Amino acid sequence: MATDQAVRPGAQPEARPPRRRSGQRTRLWGTLLALPTAWIVGFFVASMVIVVLLSFGRTQADGKPVFGRTTANYEALWNDVYLQLFLRSLGYAVATTLICALIAYPVAYAIALYGGRYKNVLIAAIVVPFFASYLIRMYAWSALLSDEGIVNSAIKGTDLGDGVQFLNTPYAVIGGLVYGYIVFMILPVYASLERMDVSLIEAGKDLYHGPLRTFLAVTLPATRAGLFGGMLLVFLPALGDFVSAQLLGGPSTYMIGNLIQQQFLEGQNWPLGSAMTVSMMVALTLLMIFYLRGTSTRARELQ
Amino acid sequence: MSPPAPVSRRSLLRGGLALGATAGLARAASGCAYLPSETPARVKLPKSAKAKVDGDLVYFNWADYLDPSVIKGFQREYGVKVIQSNFDSMEGMYAKLQAGNQYDIIFPIAKWVQKLRAEGKVRAIDHDELTNADQVFYSGSYYNDPWYDDKSAVSVPFTVYKTGIGWRTDKVDSMTGSWNDLWNPQAAKRIFTLDDQDEAIAMAALLLGYDVNTAKAKELEEVKKLLVSQKKYLRAYSSDDVNNMARGDAWIHHMWSGDFVYLRQGLVDKPENYDFEAPTEGTPINSDAYAIPTNAQHPGTAMLFIDYLLRPEIAKKNMAYLYYPFPVKDAAPSFAELVKDVPAANVDLADLENPDVFRLLGADEVQRRAATWTEVKAS
Repeated sequence: MATDQAVRPGAQPEARPPRRRSGQRTRLWGTLLALPTAWIVGFFVASMVIVVLLSFGRTQADGKPVFGRTTANYEALWNDVYLQLFLRSLGYAVATTLICALIAYPVAYAIALYGGRYKNVLIAAIVVPFFASYLIRMYAWSALLSDEGIVNSAIKGTDLGDGVQFLNTPYAVIGGLVYGYIVFMILPVYASLERMDVSLIEAGKDLYHGPLRTFLAVTLPATRAGLFGGMLLVFLPALGDFVSAQLLGGPSTYMIGNLIQQQFLEGQNWPLGSAMTVSMMVALTLLMIFYLRGTSTRARELQ
Repeated sequence: MSPPAPVSRRSLLRGGLALGATAGLARAASGCAYLPSETPARVKLPKSAKAKVDGDLVYFNWADYLDPSVIKGFQREYGVKVIQSNFDSMEGMYAKLQAGNQYDIIFPIAKWVQKLRAEGKVRAIDHDELTNADQVFYSGSYYNDPWYDDKSAVSVPFTVYKTGIGWRTDKVDSMTGSWNDLWNPQAAKRIFTLDDQDEAIAMAALLLGYDVNTAKAKELEEVKKLLVSQKKYLRAYSSDDVNNMARGDAWIHHMWSGDFVYLRQGLVDKPENYDFEAPTEGTPINSDAYAIPTNAQHPGTAMLFIDYLLRPEIAKKNMAYLYYPFPVKDAAPSFAELVKDVPAANVDLADLENPDVFRLLGADEVQRRAATWTEVKAS
């Protein structure tokens, strides 16, 4: 029950039979929950409100961003350059999501179905490296893949060629994004595979399906929720990422995240940066709503 | 076990909102952040502190920007703790100060000294309180009256550096001593330009014969075209100049002088394969400084700390760690010795009288330059 709720927050708690509680206990829980809620409201919602308000603001002559009532920042967004950046970021994020799915699914499948008693160890082996800062891991990649780095030294050492330029290419940026976010795909897929009833696969085989058809007709639909959730969890941060492009990218791999970051630092244009942030959020929210509605409708039809 | 009694979603939200709103209001009331306010034209300079221990030192600098043994030495000698925190950009440092955080000593770049002084955010530093003041403020010193701080009233110079070009002599033999070398076809796709709005625009502006601080639309348009024309030779924009060179990804790098010295003297196996030039069209020169914020709680300890850092033997230690020259008189020869094979990476007194410094610009000028830089990087 508890896990089911965690996966589907929309599940109806009302379905449970109503129970009487002493008022005291309710108040205790209320107090305990009030603090984290206040935390979220105070620091998350309030910061969001500031960003939204600033997006209608301006920058004073002394460089200080102040609230205002201008829509100039939003008008400034209609710029070919920004559109191009957005499309480029979208392309990178889609590629990242697909590659993550292709890598994560087999990994999660192997662990969930064949991991046996090493399951938890294997999952830990995947999760633990992600405790290290994303930034550090990106630096490690650039050390690994640089022209005189470990991989290229090995290539040269075995006379396979003169080495390959990995770094500062779009592929390196996507590679960095995949490495950075793949764990968000593996875990939900693993969870849904883990929960799946393995006898379903056996049933599929009993009905004379080949392994491929069994997979497509039984396993994949049964784990679709995890896969879709994972795709969302990878796509959203990948689209807004700026670290990978900054550390592994070349002269033409600037992403929308870099653009927004620049407005808050060297650009000294917080209002414009805020307008970009708000627009991104609106666009992504709409995208997410369509996506979730689409996937949940299909899930319902298939049930 | 079933989850605990459900608190109704609405009551939870209401309670949380009330608490959150209180926190938010308190925040809004305590400072006038984000409300329009023009700074007064003249701010009275907050008085200098006496140099005496008045508590532990709250220190705010770039990461790893002083020799740790120097800081340990100060703690030992004066019996105080140095509480360190770091910033990763001047904008970040400024935002923290703006938010009211209290630091005893900060390390701003020249034009930020000018800004902080104009806004009354830093206090005066009485040179008579510093026993080693004559190391930087001797007769004829450029720092007696630097462009960014009238009579050095609020700042003491820390390091100085120039921006030039570092290259691999074992890979490239066709350098001309001009900024055009960043377009050198011999190193195509092995060239890096600093990922820094001011430095990149300045480099192109110098080539075009414009002021490094240009914010004129027409000139910026030309700067943009020039920088975009460089892309086919570029491998990337990056400010990680030391590592890009050390890892062999870069053959030619738009580079800060101190980073080059660190690379050549402190990092690589074959220093003779690395050289540095200060292009003939002019090189941006910049200084970092020590300053004491107005709201510092222990300005006396900060004065002692500055005085301590001005001691020639301490400056030498720091220079050997940082590889950036300090304008400390009796320590200068030791740096000249360190860079005797690449004198171009030194900054001597004659270099300081230089028109190519990054000045404090108005917000609209900065934003025009930022837009240019964005379009270069995005195209």
